[in-house]
Amino acid sequence: MKKISNIKALSVCTLYSVFCTLVSCVNDDTTLDMKGMFSPNGETVNTRFEQSMAYDDARGEIHLDMKADDYMIYVCTDSHITKKTHKNLDYFMAQYRAETAPKLAIHLGDLIDAQKNMECADSIIHYAGQTSADTLFLTPGNHDIYFKQWTIFRELFGTGIYWFDTNNGDKKLDLFICLDTAEGTLGTRQLKWLKDLLAQKSKEGYRRIIVFTHTHFWKQDDSQGHTSNLSMEETYELTSLFAQYGVQFVWSGHQHARQSVIYKGVNYLVLDATKDEESGQAYMTVDAGNSMIYHYWNYPAE
Amino acid sequence: MKKYLYTVICILCSVALFAGNPGFGDRRYTISGAVEYGYNKTWLHHANFDIQSLMPINPYFEMEAKLQFSTANVHSGALQLRPKFELPVGELFIETDLYFRAVTRNQLTDYTASIGVGYRMDYVSVLVGSYSRILDDWNRDWHTTDNYVVEPFNLLYRLEVFCRPQNNNWNLSFVFTDIDDYQMERMWQPLFAIKAYYDVAEHWRLNFGVQCKPTGMFHLNATFYGANLRAGFGYRF
Repeated sequence: MKKISNIKALSVCTLYSVFCTLVSCVNDDTTLDMKGMFSPNGETVNTRFEQSMAYDDARGEIHLDMKADDYMIYVCTDSHITKKTHKNLDYFMAQYRAETAPKLAIHLGDLIDAQKNMECADSIIHYAGQTSADTLFLTPGNHDIYFKQWTIFRELFGTGIYWFDTNNGDKKLDLFICLDTAEGTLGTRQLKWLKDLLAQKSKEGYRRIIVFTHTHFWKQDDSQGHTSNLSMEETYELTSLFAQYGVQFVWSGHQHARQSVIYKGVNYLVLDATKDEESGQAYMTVDAGNSMIYHYWNYPAE
Repeated sequence: MKKYLYTVICILCSVALFAGNPGFGDRRYTISGAVEYGYNKTWLHHANFDIQSLMPINPYFEMEAKLQFSTANVHSGALQLRPKFELPVGELFIETDLYFRAVTRNQLTDYTASIGVGYRMDYVSVLVGSYSRILDDWNRDWHTTDNYVVEPFNLLYRLEVFCRPQNNNWNLSFVFTDIDDYQMERMWQPLFAIKAYYDVAEHWRLNFGVQCKPTGMFHLNATFYGANLRAGFGYRF
């Protein structure tokens, strides 16, 4: 009898922990969807890869002519906007639009917090759509795709896996590769695509190669308590791949806290969140000349 | 605080090593071997070959050594030290684990050291603790620090529920954990396993296991990442 009570108590504790985790992931705009913890909540990463590649092929390659070797990159992540609160993302976009130097902007995922907010995000971003004239690039985060939101992300922004480069006339500058890690893995097809792309592009004389994605690679301190990483197998493989092909920077978000790690000569940088009402909100600008000079900018207080 | 904690652990380990009263369950010197079929989205299809040795030094202390060779070109080893203390119901144990994974395919080594506190009853075993990891590149230049990464704190957990008492001649168990014999995953990367054994003779035991690793569970978009099927036998002295 005592044994059964112990098992019962343990089971209740486990179920309660899982329930608390789920509840912490939702807000007014969502419905509790436990299915996502145990099975794909929409298209899997291999399907998203196929759809992204189809879009990329139809759109054609993106080559941004910066008309100078120096240009500005604006980077933010984890804005988690809702229809009610998107002050920081508004501010980021305003700063970016006011920049007079040659520029591009990158959002590292978790654009929205929960479902029914993607159109709002689109209206703030204004010129998303990943055509060759655009200079704002997105990677999907887990919040952008769960609750079956990949369909709407895809309708508005087209793709989650792509590459583009910057040039000054005929001179190649920097190669940017966007990876979809929104469900914690690259999957088989995206991994093969990445290997082939790096093998090909690393021979083309780019000044540097920059990879950006949502999920961060390392778990180094308590600030990362609530965010998950890639599996260890994938961490071994990707970090070695980046080193092998001379990737110099890997930018990611997801953990809402700044982090910098250098491993095998690759600089892994995780950004603070852009989410409103969160401590330590900041975005990053990068002066991309022959050196990369980072600046972190705090969002203004209320 | 850490210093005191380590001192207490060392004392407990030393006491356990030299104590001599009967302990919990039927633990005997065992050598076992197993073959595994494995698949994951990074290494794809591969086979593993496992060798394990369980060494109960006395009823209060046991050691376990493990080796795994894989056709994925990743080879692992682990040494576990397990002091244990009998309680009126069940058994309290401390588990320290030194773990080594030579990832030859990626030219790096994954070192892990863990400590956990567990409690084991007839039908349930629970372990909670923490571990630290160093990922170390083989192409090492001692004048730079960018060839290794330290992850100082990770939570480890293991919950195993058995269908039969643990000293039965057969058993089936369900496991929810982030560690197993040859890998230590980060805390939000759980592993699910079903394990079984059957004592075919006094000294011979058959072992079976299935393990599934999903990703994205806590991205609320879980998907299948990998699985292992394990079958082997053990000789119990």
